[in-house]
Amino acid sequence: MKTRTTLLSILLLVCSVVMAQAQGKEKLQQYFNSAATEAKSVADPNQKREILTNSLSKMSKALVVVEAMSSVSETDKAGIQRFKASLQEKQDALLGVNGQSRVADEKLNDYANYLVQDMEQADTVVTISLITLLLIIIIIILLF
Amino acid sequence: MSIACKVFLSAIVAAFLTSCASTPRLYQTAAQTGPPRYSLIFMIHGDANYVFHDTVGIAHYADEEALAKAHVVARANPAGEVFIFHDKPLSKTLFFFKRRDGDFYYYRNGQLVATHSYWRDEGEGSARFAVHGALYHQFRAHDSSVATWPTRRMLLYFGHEIPEVDGLHYDASYPDSTLTVSKFTNDLLAFSDRNAPPIASDQSKYFDLIVMSTCFNGTPHSVAALAPHTRYVIASPTNLHLSYLDIAAFEHLENTLANNDVAAFARFAARAAFQKLSASVQTVVSVALYDVSKTVQYTQSVDAAYRRSLTTIATAPTLTLAHCDCTEQAPFNSPFMHEGVEVLYRPAKFGRDANKPNHSGWSCWKNGP
Repeated sequence: MKTRTTLLSILLLVCSVVMAQAQGKEKLQQYFNSAATEAKSVADPNQKREILTNSLSKMSKALVVVEAMSSVSETDKAGIQRFKASLQEKQDALLGVNGQSRVADEKLNDYANYLVQDMEQADTVVTISLITLLLIIIIIILLF
Repeated sequence: MSIACKVFLSAIVAAFLTSCASTPRLYQTAAQTGPPRYSLIFMIHGDANYVFHDTVGIAHYADEEALAKAHVVARANPAGEVFIFHDKPLSKTLFFFKRRDGDFYYYRNGQLVATHSYWRDEGEGSARFAVHGALYHQFRAHDSSVATWPTRRMLLYFGHEIPEVDGLHYDASYPDSTLTVSKFTNDLLAFSDRNAPPIASDQSKYFDLIVMSTCFNGTPHSVAALAPHTRYVIASPTNLHLSYLDIAAFEHLENTLANNDVAAFARFAARAAFQKLSASVQTVVSVALYDVSKTVQYTQSVDAAYRRSLTTIATAPTLTLAHCDCTEQAPFNSPFMHEGVEVLYRPAKFGRDANKPNHSGWSCWKNGP
């Protein structure tokens, strides 16, 4: 019985590692897609803006935590910095700060789509390794 | 032996036999309506993350969608032959038996004639398209007679940006293998045939048109590397959303290419793809058509400066370098840059470049985000 349990655990571990490897960037995309879908589902523009801002803010905080880890490579840190800058720009546009024009209320659904589509072609994320991407996802789940 | 054991053993034998099957499956003989007038090769890369979401939030797989559209184009070309290659992630049956990671489909005169599954790493040495080229030459319709060659040959590639340096990790299943623009263009020779009649005055060119449905391959370096193979290139000098360039324009080439005017057809195809993408995404859309006989003056004039950028990227990978319009960087801003390039451009609806009114059609590198 004990052997069977051990074998089953090893099998599950192997399966989760394989699945996680396949889903590094995909998980990140899903995160923004969920936020965009939620934002589009509410009618109140203030709520839409808050949902989108919160999702960007959470991601930025997770990036700060991961960037501070000593195990993260210099290449990944450079990638994280670019990713953070890109997220900051998007937050600025939502809030209309740092020289950015505030996204109009009636354009918030389009902006939610823009966030998702920009992430799907973001070459900044491509430069971040799979392990670091997974760390970012884990941090978001655990801390925020 | 228990039934469970028998089932298990049968599954292993079936998995083993499936992974070893290597004979192309033939469906039918193509309708004899004369030799194909058009030849299309679709190369669809699927061995990476190709997920994108529509505006309702539903996930799509870019490679699967491109494959489905390629089949539609193939069936809608009664006067052509179509080769479709789908490079998939490596997977295993029962954790041990490697499954073939490529699917090939061959259509002639609008009918599916053969299918075959292949391993992408079979064939000679490190040549990326060895197996693709071998299948192409095995199935193509023409014989040694010049009269049987398709009059127009085109290749369409779908995938992520093909890097100009480094090139590691392009294939998720083969992290140690590399793909760069140089390797891609060198390995395109796998499709060539020195007996082929010239498609233009320059006998070395094998294709009339190469479509790069990728991000950022509209660069001086990439277009110059493709130039020995083709007369025209359609590519994007900016990001390209994963819903890709639409290919509906390639249906019924017997109508759109009836007068054999490749330039006019390429212009039509680029415009159709641009309009489709502009209507569906909020991000930047740019589609450029390059007449490579006319762009050579520009690509040669900036070649040295561009190579210096590539050296910088190769030697300092953590340095923050970003793509930019070539007009933004002095060494690349040349009076020749508008020769031979037609650009269709719509800025992103939001973000830093939302107010950028136009694009030169050429992507270069700059410091900074």
